[in-house]
Amino acid sequence: MAHVLEEGRALPAGWDVRFAAGLDIYRNAYRTRLVDALRETFPRTAQWVGDDAFNAAAAHHLITNPPAVWTLDLIGQGFTDVLAELFARDPEVAELAWLEWTMHLAFVAADVRVLDRDGFMASVADFAEEDWAGMVLAFSPSLAMREVRHDIPHLWQGLKAEEGMADCLALERPAMLAVWREGLSPVFRLLDPAMATLLAHMQTGTPYGEACAMLADQVGEEEAARAAGAALGQWINDGLVVSVTR
Amino acid sequence: MSDIAPFEGFGLGLRRPHYSDFLDGDVLIDFVEVISENYMVDGGKPLDVLTRVREKHPVALHGVSMSVGSAQRLDRDHLAKLKQLADRVEPLWVSDHLCWTRTSAHNSHDLLPLPYIEEALDVVCANISEAQDALGRPMLFENPSSYCSFPDNEMEEWEFLAEMTRRTGCYLLLDINNIYVSAHNHGFDAMDYLRGLPLDRVRQVHLAGHTPGEILIDTHDRPVCDGVWQLYAQAVPLLGEVATMIERDDDIPSLEELLDELDYAHAVTMRARQGEAA
Repeated sequence: MAHVLEEGRALPAGWDVRFAAGLDIYRNAYRTRLVDALRETFPRTAQWVGDDAFNAAAAHHLITNPPAVWTLDLIGQGFTDVLAELFARDPEVAELAWLEWTMHLAFVAADVRVLDRDGFMASVADFAEEDWAGMVLAFSPSLAMREVRHDIPHLWQGLKAEEGMADCLALERPAMLAVWREGLSPVFRLLDPAMATLLAHMQTGTPYGEACAMLADQVGEEEAARAAGAALGQWINDGLVVSVTR
Repeated sequence: MSDIAPFEGFGLGLRRPHYSDFLDGDVLIDFVEVISENYMVDGGKPLDVLTRVREKHPVALHGVSMSVGSAQRLDRDHLAKLKQLADRVEPLWVSDHLCWTRTSAHNSHDLLPLPYIEEALDVVCANISEAQDALGRPMLFENPSSYCSFPDNEMEEWEFLAEMTRRTGCYLLLDINNIYVSAHNHGFDAMDYLRGLPLDRVRQVHLAGHTPGEILIDTHDRPVCDGVWQLYAQAVPLLGEVATMIERDDDIPSLEELLDELDYAHAVTMRARQGEAA
């Protein structure tokens, strides 16, 4: 394996020139295949930073994180961190790469039946008033969030157009970017800040009442009430809620 | 371990650009082959597509990551997910390659050649037996193409395959292009290779294109060349009932173009059999 991964490694005694020529094919195929797989997984990131910078980053990733698992689908594991390090002055690069990677994972996340509005209403039909505070929601396994400082959805759309018109706007304040899968299609959205905080609390299994109280401590009673009032409907509409327990 | 009954037919690999052709229309082929690892996922579109294609066609599972040549034994996660997929799909059979792809630390994601020595044969046979036991079915293993061979080889590739088949009860997926490529790259006679194999164990045949040069490269990115067709025609009379397919993985053309190539494979097969009868 070392002879495939390390281009400068000397051949063992007895391995001739013809063997060396064959080994070069494997070495070249290894690098080409994996860089191509990264580019297929991160096409917009590649487009944003340009081919030369992307190829250099991909080569760095393969050296620092040589593939260790059987599936090529996970070749991008850790690439976002590599980009954050290599493009420290351009933090939107790692934010965009995180979105592409998370969309990639959501694409093959486990299938679940999510609750629609009728399903949710049926689940809470026999709730007494005090039950609401203890309500715990299970969310789609595809749901993932991270804080971003740039309008990554805007950048994503601009890059999709492939007209060289993409631009990257800094957000006035950091926001949470969420990714999940609706049916078979991964989707994403910048979240309302208070609802994002509530969602983050409840995604860890915190009961609704406790999550609302934590939110109120963070954003005040009025804002917490607004977010709590809108959040459930939004999450149901987005197809995020899988089950309700109390 | 049960036997794998022969299945005679002509098929294609299911590739992403042709998903809609298979889902929305009636593709007149006898079976499809899918790359197992592309569907060894938790859920989402790949499994949805495979489930719907399976309703229309028999499916053969063809893996690229089992790495039966690895001295570190098989990857348990890979094997568990493969079994899950096989149980779900109920395939014609499950195949992989005679090669190694990984050590305990790294995965090359390439089908690397093995030294054909007794020690490697022991490793390969132990791994194949473990895989077949775990899956509860015999498997097919494909003869590799390779670009270098080891100076300390103790036997020919076909001898290795024959002994592997005898010891484990596995079957063979005969890739005609791989024989052609390796015969050129290593200077052996392709017919010696064919005659040295237990051809009654062959259940599937791959036909594919390669990139010409001083060393031929098994790229699957172009039509089958004349030399491979000629070798296939020589192989047909030696084979029993097999499932034959065109394997295309890069520069994938329209489905119509591949169906035309598959029709040609059918015609070559018929001519070769008639020639045998005459």
